[in-house]
Amino acid sequence: MTFTRFLERLLQLIPVLLGVSVIVFVMMALTPGDPVQIMIGDQIVTPEQEAQMRRDLGLDRPVVERFFVFLGNALQFDFGQSFYHRRPVAEVILERLPATIELTVVAMLIALFTAIPLGVLAAVRKNSIFDRIATVGGLLGVSLPGFWFGILLLMLFAVHLNLLPVAGRINYGISQGITPYTHFLLIDTLLNGRFDAFRNALAHIILPAITLGLPMTAILMRVTRTAMLEVLRADYVTFAQAKGLSRQRILWRHALKNALIPTVSVAAIETGSLLGGNMIIETVFGWPGLGRLVVESIFVRNYPLVQAAVLLYAVIYVMLNFFADILYTILNPRVKL
Amino acid sequence: MSDDILLEVRGLRTVFDTRSGQVCAVDGVDVTVTRGECLGIVGESGSGKSVTFASVMGLVRSPGRIEAGEIVFDGTDLRKLSPRKMQALRGRDIAMTMQDALTALNPALTVGEQLAEMLEAHDDDLPRRRGARRAAIQARSVEMLTLVGIPSAGDRLRQYPHEFSGGMRQRIMIAIALASKPRLLIADEPTTALDVTIQAQVLELISKLRAELGMSVVLITHDLGVVAEHCDRVMVMYAGQVVEEGPTARVIRDPRHPYTRGLLASIPRPALRGQPIRPIDGQVPDLVDLPPQCRFLDRCPEAGEACRHLIDMHPAGPARRARCIRIAVPETEKA
Amino acid sequence: MAAFVENRLAFGSAIVVVLFVLMAIFAPWIAPNDPYATNLFFRLQPPVWMEGGEWAYPLGADALGRCILSRIIYGARISIFIGAAVILVATTIGILAGLAAGYLRGWVDVVISRLVDILLGFPYLIFAIGLMAMMGPGLGNIILALAYKEWVIPCRVVRGETLVTRELEYVEAARALGASGRHIMLREILPNILSPVIVVATIRMAHVIILEASLSFLGLGVQPPTASWGAMVADGRAFILESWWVSTFPGLAILLLVLAINVASQGLRDAFDPRFTE
Repeated sequence: MTFTRFLERLLQLIPVLLGVSVIVFVMMALTPGDPVQIMIGDQIVTPEQEAQMRRDLGLDRPVVERFFVFLGNALQFDFGQSFYHRRPVAEVILERLPATIELTVVAMLIALFTAIPLGVLAAVRKNSIFDRIATVGGLLGVSLPGFWFGILLLMLFAVHLNLLPVAGRINYGISQGITPYTHFLLIDTLLNGRFDAFRNALAHIILPAITLGLPMTAILMRVTRTAMLEVLRADYVTFAQAKGLSRQRILWRHALKNALIPTVSVAAIETGSLLGGNMIIETVFGWPGLGRLVVESIFVRNYPLVQAAVLLYAVIYVMLNFFADILYTILNPRVKL
Repeated sequence: MSDDILLEVRGLRTVFDTRSGQVCAVDGVDVTVTRGECLGIVGESGSGKSVTFASVMGLVRSPGRIEAGEIVFDGTDLRKLSPRKMQALRGRDIAMTMQDALTALNPALTVGEQLAEMLEAHDDDLPRRRGARRAAIQARSVEMLTLVGIPSAGDRLRQYPHEFSGGMRQRIMIAIALASKPRLLIADEPTTALDVTIQAQVLELISKLRAELGMSVVLITHDLGVVAEHCDRVMVMYAGQVVEEGPTARVIRDPRHPYTRGLLASIPRPALRGQPIRPIDGQVPDLVDLPPQCRFLDRCPEAGEACRHLIDMHPAGPARRARCIRIAVPETEKA
Repeated sequence: MAAFVENRLAFGSAIVVVLFVLMAIFAPWIAPNDPYATNLFFRLQPPVWMEGGEWAYPLGADALGRCILSRIIYGARISIFIGAAVILVATTIGILAGLAAGYLRGWVDVVISRLVDILLGFPYLIFAIGLMAMMGPGLGNIILALAYKEWVIPCRVVRGETLVTRELEYVEAARALGASGRHIMLREILPNILSPVIVVATIRMAHVIILEASLSFLGLGVQPPTASWGAMVADGRAFILESWWVSTFPGLAILLLVLAINVASQGLRDAFDPRFTE
C-alpha cells in the first residue's frame, strides 16, 4: 500500500469521527431537564455559582456554537470539569485509562491466542469429538451473559477455592514502591523487578480478562474454523502438499495466512464488544478502570465525564477498525485499499 | 528393459465413500511410465485420470481412499512408505503441476517464498550457514524463473501471484514444481486455463525441460491434439478404467476402442475442415453400483449382447491394448 | 421447513424458546408466589433440595424474601418483551432504510450509508449506556436506546440483498411494465430477501436479550422492584459468599433462553440456505 493511499484512507475517517462527535453532543443536548440543576442535585449553591456553572458549560450560547466549542475543546482533550472529582475530566479519565487498556489488551490476547489455534484444530479435525466440543463451546461463549459468568468464576475460584483475589488490580501492600513507568501493572512490576507483585497483578487480571474475552474467543473460533475449512479445500493447499512441504508448514503458513484475513476483520469488530464489556466486567470484578468510572459517574450525574468517555471509546474503536483495515491489506496482497 | 521403468502402477483401485454409496473413481488401473518418456492420459472429467495420479502422489482426500493396488516408483512401493518418507518424496522425486496456477499458487505469499520453501524442503546441497543459504536459495530461484522464461527474475521474486499474467503464472508453477529436479512430472491439465497461443508456449516449455532435465512427464489432458503433438505414448481412460493404450501415433491413426474413435471424431481438425464434428452421444455412467458389463455400452454405436459382461484389456497390436471384445487385429500387426 | 424439523437439536431449541414465551405470557398462573411479595422471614432461603429449603420457594428466596422462581418467571416477560420490541422496531426501520438505500441509490444511499458508518463507530453497549445515562431508566427508554443502533444491522443486510436483487430479471420486468418504486421495493424485492432478514433478526434477538440484561445488571435498565433477570443477578452479588442461588438461577435463565435462540436460529439459517452448511 502506498503512502498516498494510506493518507486517503486516513482522510476518510474525518466524516465518521465528526459524525460520532455530533451524536455524542446531541446525546447530551437532548438530556431532559436542566443539566446544571441535575449536577447541583442536593448541594447548596449560590445563584452566582449556578450562573458560573452555566457559563462554564457554555449553556448560555446557541446550540450550534456550543457544538463547535465542544468539538474544539475535545480536540485539545479538554472536556471540562468533573464536579464530582473537582478536577478536569481529562485528568480523571487519563488516570483510569491504563487499567482499562491493560485489561482489554490481555482479554484480546487471550481471545486471539486461544481462538485461532482452537479454530484451526477444529477445522483440521472436522467432525471429531474435538470439533464438536469446540462448536458447543462456541455457542456457549456467545450465549453466556458476561456479568453472570464473571460472578460464577468469582464464586468458584475466589470464594470457594480461595485461589484468586476477589477484586482490584493488585494488593495494596504489594503495590507499594513500584515506580509507574507505563502505568500498566503487568509491565511496571517486571520493570521494577518485582516478580511477587507481577504474580499478584496476574492473579488479579486473569478472571476479568477471561470473562471479558469469552464472547470474542467464541466468535473468532467459529470464524477461524469456517475460514480454515474453506482454505483447506483450496488448490494451493493441494499444490503445497504436492511440493512435499511439512504438514505444519502447510497448516500454519499456507492455510492460516489466508484464513486469518476474515478473522482479522471480525476481531476488529469484536473489540467493540470488549470496550463495551469493560463497563460490565470492571463493575463485577471491582476493576479500577474507566468502564467502572463511567458507570459510577452515571449514578452521580457526572455527565461531562460520561460524554467524554463515550466519545473516547468511539474514537478508539474507529481507530482500531482503521488499523484492522490496514492490517487486512497487508495480509491480503490482492486488495488495494 | 525393466530398468527403464520409472513408475509402475498395478491394479489401482481408489474409492470414495459417499452418502449415496461407494464411488469407484479408479477401478483396476495399470500404468507404466518409462524413464524419459512423455505419457499422455486422456479422458473426460470424471474418468479417473486425475484421481489416479493423486493416488500416486498420496494426495487422495477424505472421503477417498486407495483400496487396492501397487504403486512402484523406482523399485519402492509407495503405498508401503511412511507418511514422512512419502512427504520427502513428493516434490523431490515426483512433482505435480495443477490445472490453474491462479488457484494453485498461494495468493498471500510471494512467488519467491513459494519457490524458496520448495528448495528448503528438498535441497540437501544448500549451505548450512544462514547468509550463504539465503544467497544460494536466491540464486537457485532466479535460475529456475529464468529457465522457464521469466525476465528480470530477481525483482519478480518479491511479487505476488496476482501480479503476473496467466501464462507467466503457469510458468512459475512449473518452475516451482521443477525446482528440485524431479524424475517424474505429473502435469494435470497444464493448458486448460490458458489462451490458445500461450497453451502452445507452455507445452513447448514442458517438452524442452523434459529433454534438458531428463525427466519423465505424465501429461493429463482431455485434448487428444495436445497428446498427438507432445506424447510418446497415450492412455485413454473412461469411467475409472483404461480403455486403450499404445504409441500415440498409432492410436491416433488407428483407434481400436469405440470411445477413442468417438473422441477423435469430436475434435475439430483443420485438416478435416468441412466434416461435421460428432460429439459422443450419452453420458458417463454413474460410478455407483456399476453393472458387470462394458462401461461404454450405453454410448457405444457397436455394442451387442456379447458386451454385457466384464471386459478385460485385449492385446491390440504391438505395445497396444484396448478394452473391447470387437478388436480385429490386422494380420500384419500381429506380434 | 422440513429441513428445520429434521435438525432435532434446532427443533428442540425452538420448543424451549416457545416454552419461555408461554411462561412469560402465563406468568401469573404459573408462578407459585407473588414476585413482589417480600417476607423477611424467608430472607435468603435456600432452594428446596438444600437444607432449610422448602417447596413454597422451589429455587429459594432473595434478600427481601421474594420467591426467586416467581421472579424468574415474571422476568421472562421483560426479557422477551424488550427483545421482541427492539427487534421489531429495528427490523422495520432497517428494512425501509435498507430498501431505500439499495434501490433508490444516489443521495438517499449516501445519507443512509454515512449514518450507518457513524453508528458503527460506537461500541454497542457503550452507545446504549450513554443513551440510558441521558434518557434515564425505564422500559420505553431501553427499547429506544437499543433500537437506535440495532436497525443498522438489518439495514446493511437488506441494502446488500437489494443491490443484488434489483438487477434481477423479474425486477427489471416489473420496472419495464411501469410498476412504481414503492411497489417494486415492497412487493417484488422484499418478499425475496426476507429469509436472510429473518435469520439475522433471530440471531440479533439473542444478542439484544443479553444487552438488556447487561443494562439492568448495571442498574440502567428496568427499575426495581420490577423483576428483570439482569437486575436479579446484580441483587445476588452481595451474597455470593453463602447464598449462591440468588445470582445463579436468573443468570441460568438468561443463558438457557439465549442459547436456545442461538441454536434454533442456526438451524433456521441452515434450513433457509443450505450453502451455509459445512
